[in-house]
Amino acid sequence: MNNKLSLLIPITETRYEDIIQVYNEYDSELEKLNITFEIIFIIDGEYPNITQKLEKLSESDNKIIIIKLARSFGEANAIMAASRQASGEVLLTLPAYRQIQPSEITKLVQSLNDFDLVVGCRNPRIDSKFNQIQARVFQWVVNKMSDFKTHDIGCGARVFKKKVLDEVQLYGDQHRFLALLAYRQGFKVKEVNLRQSEYDKPTRIHPFGVYLRRLLDILTVFFLTKFTKKPLRFFGLIGSFTFLIGVLGTLFLIFEKFFFGIALAERPALLISTLFMVLGVQVVAIGLLGEIIIFTHAKNIKEYTIEKIIGR
Amino acid sequence: MDLSVVVPLYFEEESVELLHQSITNAISPLKIKYEIIFVDDGSKDNTFMVAEKIAQRDINFKIIKFRKNYGQTPAMAAGINHALGNIIITMDGDLQNDPADIPLFLQKIEEGYDIVVGWRHKRQDKLITRKIPSKIANWIIGKITGVPIKDNGCSLKAYKRSIIQKIPLYSEMHRFIPAMTSIAGTTIAEIKVRHHARQFGESKYGLSRVYKVLIDLLTIKMLISFASRPLYWFTLIALIPFFLGSVLITQWLLSLFTDPSHHSFVFASVGVLLVALGTFIVTLGILAELVYKTGSHLIEKFSNLKLNLIGKKTNHEQ
Repeated sequence: MNNKLSLLIPITETRYEDIIQVYNEYDSELEKLNITFEIIFIIDGEYPNITQKLEKLSESDNKIIIIKLARSFGEANAIMAASRQASGEVLLTLPAYRQIQPSEITKLVQSLNDFDLVVGCRNPRIDSKFNQIQARVFQWVVNKMSDFKTHDIGCGARVFKKKVLDEVQLYGDQHRFLALLAYRQGFKVKEVNLRQSEYDKPTRIHPFGVYLRRLLDILTVFFLTKFTKKPLRFFGLIGSFTFLIGVLGTLFLIFEKFFFGIALAERPALLISTLFMVLGVQVVAIGLLGEIIIFTHAKNIKEYTIEKIIGR
Repeated sequence: MDLSVVVPLYFEEESVELLHQSITNAISPLKIKYEIIFVDDGSKDNTFMVAEKIAQRDINFKIIKFRKNYGQTPAMAAGINHALGNIIITMDGDLQNDPADIPLFLQKIEEGYDIVVGWRHKRQDKLITRKIPSKIANWIIGKITGVPIKDNGCSLKAYKRSIIQKIPLYSEMHRFIPAMTSIAGTTIAEIKVRHHARQFGESKYGLSRVYKVLIDLLTIKMLISFASRPLYWFTLIALIPFFLGSVLITQWLLSLFTDPSHHSFVFASVGVLLVALGTFIVTLGILAELVYKTGSHLIEKFSNLKLNLIGKKTNHEQ
């Protein structure tokens, strides 16, 4: 590997440790690899202490680049921002806390070879049972939806070629899904087992909002993106189903009126069936609008990724 | 450059050589400047390796390799976007189309048609699973889009580059290219082409599910008829719930005066609901109008649609 490597360390609200210590461990490991590298810290929001420490650190080490974002944009955006500044062809992300044993970094970087992206998997896991269970539930849901199966979606250690981020646009909390998204774009992706750091043991209980956000992320990544190019296929199905319920309800009420003489004017159920029909029409109409948007902007949507072109 | 031949390939390692050979044989006597563009749609066999070798010895040949399988429409779109020829011919990569037909297409384009579509009049496929469903599909597509082409599924087609490069090609829209172009007002000709039975392997692009085609058809229909003035159409549709709702509300108001003890809140609420739906649809129409105004350039060109289709020999102008 002659390519320059850029190590990206996003410092976000989720978790960070004494940054100097983290830096020292990462730096000394990368020195062993015998390659040129740079270390980019992305400070996602207001962390005056860390900023100060890093600024001092960068005076003694010119491999360090510090990117300070104006406010918190989330880890995925932090990675995107850093990749634009990175001068290496190979990017390595590591969390701002010790998640894997530093000695495993070498293994991770060297396993890239022909692959476009290699994602770490903490195995065997030595942290608390509670962590493992919640990770496993999340993992199970993701694997249900994804065609590329991973085993540790929460692992922040990944190494990949810079071109991956040209095709995969990350935002929100999608950094977790980078491996899956890259795979979907046709990149060669694999997972390697890395030993977990003993500092990664403590139990983490996230606020409820975090779990909700994860669920929404899964929805956008695996569900909505499927239909964005043909909105009517999705909205049409929901809409016509809802409309049909309404029609059946109304027909039933009309049937009862004619055969059992129950006046429609006294049936609040009529209101509900109409509501269903109206809702159905609305959903289909939204789908149609979606199709118009896609049609008029289709020229700007790139649907394919080209690996290479040979000839002339 | 006069001509670009675009061929999407998916698992066609056996066909590539032969295909390249027969296309070259068909075009080179014409003494025109041409290029052949193969698009490897993420095949996992040796399709790309074989094509790469051809590229080394033929300067008129280009191969585009997709990172993964995206489908026939994106493959065609990629080839078309990279094409430099004034005329673009697309065809299947499975040797079922005969490149020897290419000169006929060029001739028709020279006669002044914007698009020439092939009709596999003696189709060499299974009757029940392929021919009959496709006959029905073509009939429906013709009725709905107003462009009665006999064989929408035939990939062998010729286009003027200036037109095809303006058509939004996405999802599985390649089936409807002639119908789409009719929005811009193009001249379309249809000619009979030869069709061979499959030599290698199975059909790779199956006739996809009916639901998808139906929804696409609905979309195309809307795009064609709404093209220039979506607000008008949305408002027209909104009139139905508006009218129904108003009748119900008026009736309720009248009953308040005539027979206050028997007025029905249910009917009144249904009326309000319907009026709300009408308003909603009009609002969407305004949005759609906005989208159209800020979006595509395709719809501007509204010239006359001229057809020269088999069975409808007369060029009828609309």
